[in-house]
Amino acid sequence: MNILLCCAAGMSTSLLVTKMEKSAKEKETTCKIWAVPGDAVRNHIDDADILLLGPQVRYLLPQMKKLGEEKGIPVEVINPVHYGMCNGEEVLKSAEQLVSK
Amino acid sequence: MNRVLETYIMPLAGKAAQQRHLQALRDGMVLTMPLIIIGSLFLILANLPFQAYTDFLTEHPKLKASILYPYRGTFEIMALVATFGIAYRLAESYKVDALASGAVSLAAFFVGTPFVSYTIGENADGTAMVETAYQTAMFTSKGLFVGMVIAVIATEVYRKIIQKNIVIKLPETVPPAVARSFSALIPGFGAVMVIWMLRLLVENVGDFGNLHNVVTVLLQQPLTHIGTSLVGTILIFILITLMWSTGLHGATIVGSVMTPVWLTLTTENATALASGEPVKHIVTNEFNDIVFVGGSGTTLSLVLAMVLFAKSQQMKQLGRLSIGPGFFNINEPVIFGMPIVLNPIMIIPFILAPLLSVIITYVSMDIGLVAKPIGIVTPFTMPPVISGYLITGSISGAVLQLVLMVVSFGVYFPFFKMWDKQKLIEETGASIDRSPVKEEQQSIV
Repeated sequence: MNILLCCAAGMSTSLLVTKMEKSAKEKETTCKIWAVPGDAVRNHIDDADILLLGPQVRYLLPQMKKLGEEKGIPVEVINPVHYGMCNGEEVLKSAEQLVSK
Repeated sequence: MNRVLETYIMPLAGKAAQQRHLQALRDGMVLTMPLIIIGSLFLILANLPFQAYTDFLTEHPKLKASILYPYRGTFEIMALVATFGIAYRLAESYKVDALASGAVSLAAFFVGTPFVSYTIGENADGTAMVETAYQTAMFTSKGLFVGMVIAVIATEVYRKIIQKNIVIKLPETVPPAVARSFSALIPGFGAVMVIWMLRLLVENVGDFGNLHNVVTVLLQQPLTHIGTSLVGTILIFILITLMWSTGLHGATIVGSVMTPVWLTLTTENATALASGEPVKHIVTNEFNDIVFVGGSGTTLSLVLAMVLFAKSQQMKQLGRLSIGPGFFNINEPVIFGMPIVLNPIMIIPFILAPLLSVIITYVSMDIGLVAKPIGIVTPFTMPPVISGYLITGSISGAVLQLVLMVVSFGVYFPFFKMWDKQKLIEETGASIDRSPVKEEQQSIV
């Protein structure tokens, strides 16, 4: 599964990427997880199965949802508490749920 | 208070952040940032704060000028790069040819920019040898606002013509690549025409003289005035932290309007420094890099309080998690994890601490206690104290950030204690079915 994360500069979200990768490894699922700034999403979305937004850029949701519909992938905002605590496990779990839906 | 934030601030901020043109301005301006940071490196190199070194360079002006070549090649084409970038992003959002639109807007910028003629000598027959040239000053941040306006106007004209489907259509036997090269003709022509006519209008009607003056007087000067006074700066910083209090990226949103203003002042300071004059402006692009120690809301002090004094498991854990990123001014873990977002207890110091920091920074620079920013742009992730030193080129900037940390610590501490205590009560007073949750949280770290 390829999970694309997006925030303002792609920096704080990259923290979460590390945690999610760790959690994926423990579960022995193969995932490609990466974080990009909002304006770069367009160039990366083709490789993604799901796009998750940091809560601080949730104003981008309508726009990104549209983009996601075009590509046929789910787009959602990460739960702020999971985001803040860098809870990779939970975020990964909800990503899996969204994709399998 | 939460209701006020949710019903008034949040929709407004969301709208501003999503507005197509503001978004294009912000994303387009981003294109200039790496160049400016690279240029800053050479500006630092030409102004290392050692007396012997500065004296040496003053005696060898040619060497100093040589060091500054990359500075000039980056800082002094800012308006051009921004014009292209903004047009590109705006066209992209309309789903019309972004590259072509960027090129057309760049041309439109030159169409709208006056040139000067000057005598460079005498011809053999004794008549004056005249050269016509654009002034490079127009391409620097001085031309930034003009570039923004022209990029937006040109791209709007461009996409309207395309969307009305007024393009040259060639028979199907023409290869698609050839056909595409023609399809930009009419929209591009329209965009250039509009800017051309605007320039003719301004040159022949009224006293402005040229497009650059119009934009400077009507747009740049008022915005600069608001954006750099102490009161204006305070209001802007309250706006940033208010937006963050609803969980929106306030700095990015406010930056889409203020970055051009602040960058202009940054480069004015840089120009002053490069030519050996004293710098003038306090509030520049780097002002918030100095003020926001540890990220928007000066949260590094709060994180330190967590690491040193937290009693509840949650705050201890969050402190450990946030301290690393905090040193690089990344604070989303604190903002969303504590949370500060929509948390009435923590929003108070989150707004108050930066507010005091702004006032202290502004006043101490104004009375000359601390050196002003010298036009050097550092990445926002430059750790505090180091960033203060680099931005002001003086140890006083580093000391200032230490003072700001102490003040912010004082502001945050009582509120932090309150919140920590609340969390501790939740944890120790929690019923049995809650403890597995706690264990689960601990296992994450």
